[in-house]
Amino acid sequence: MQNNSIVNAATKSWLVLIVLSVIAISLSEFIDNRSLYIISALIIVVIKGQQIVDVFMELKTAPKFWRVLFLSYIALLPLIITVIYLS
Amino acid sequence: MNSSSISTALPNKARSDKKLPGDLAMWFFILAELTVFAIFFIGFAVNEQLNEVMFSQGKAQLHQTSGLINTIALITSSYFVALALSAMHRAQAKKSVLLLLTAKFFAVIYICVKVWEYTSLFDQGITIETNTFFTLYFLITAFHLMHVLLGMVILAFIAHSAWTNKYQHNDLSAFEAGTSYWHMVDLLWIILFPLIYVI
Repeated sequence: MQNNSIVNAATKSWLVLIVLSVIAISLSEFIDNRSLYIISALIIVVIKGQQIVDVFMELKTAPKFWRVLFLSYIALLPLIITVIYLS
Repeated sequence: MNSSSISTALPNKARSDKKLPGDLAMWFFILAELTVFAIFFIGFAVNEQLNEVMFSQGKAQLHQTSGLINTIALITSSYFVALALSAMHRAQAKKSVLLLLTAKFFAVIYICVKVWEYTSLFDQGITIETNTFFTLYFLITAFHLMHVLLGMVILAFIAHSAWTNKYQHNDLSAFEAGTSYWHMVDLLWIILFPLIYVI
C-alpha cells in the first residue's frame, strides 16, 4: 500500500518535472522583461528541485535536518544566482 | 497500556520512522559534490554578468532542444530509478533490475545527445579555448557528464547485486545510496540546464 503511494507520488513528480522543463524553455515566448524572465526560470528550478529532493530522493520522510539542508541548497543557490543576475 | 503512555509512545515511533535512505557517508559525499557544482554555477553567473555580450552570443550557439531532450532523459531516468527502489522494497529484485536497465537506457540517450552537441560545436571550430563562455560551458557540462558516467557504473553495480540477490534481510542501504547518487546527478542538471541553456 505504502509502495503504491510512493509509485504514484513518483509518477506525479515525473509529470510535474517534464511539464516544468517544457515551460522553462518556452518562457522567452511569454515574458519580455529580462528580470521577470530570470526570476520565473529560477522559481521553476526551486519547484523542480523540491520534487527531486522530497520524492525521488525520499528526503520528505528523512530526518528533518537532512531535508532542510537539501531544500536550503535548492532554494539558496537559485536565490544567489538571481541576485547576481539582477545586480 | 494507558492513554498517557500511548501519547508519549507515538511521537517516539514517528521519530524512529524517519530514516535517511542509504549510507550517511554517501549523503556527505553528495553534499560535497553539490558544493563543488554550486561554486561552478556561481562562477558562471558572475562571469556572465562581467561578459554579457559574449555569454549571450555563446548561448545562442547552443542547441536548446538538445538541452531539453537531455533534461527529459535525465528526469525520466531518475523516475525509473525511483521505481526500481520501490520494487526492491517489495522484494521484486528482477523487476527492479529491469527498471534500472530502463533508467540506464535514458542515461545513454543523454550521453549520445551530449556527444552530438560537443561534436557539432567542434565542427564549427568551437573548443574549450574559444572564450570564457565556452571554457565554462565545456568544464561544467563535461564535469557533469563524468558524474553521469560514474552514476551509470553505480547503477550497473547495484543492478548486478540485485540480480544476484545480494540484498538480503531488507538491508537496502547500498542500493539506496546508489539511487541517491543518481538523483543528485539529476538535481544538478535541473540547475545547470536553465543556467547555461535558458536564461
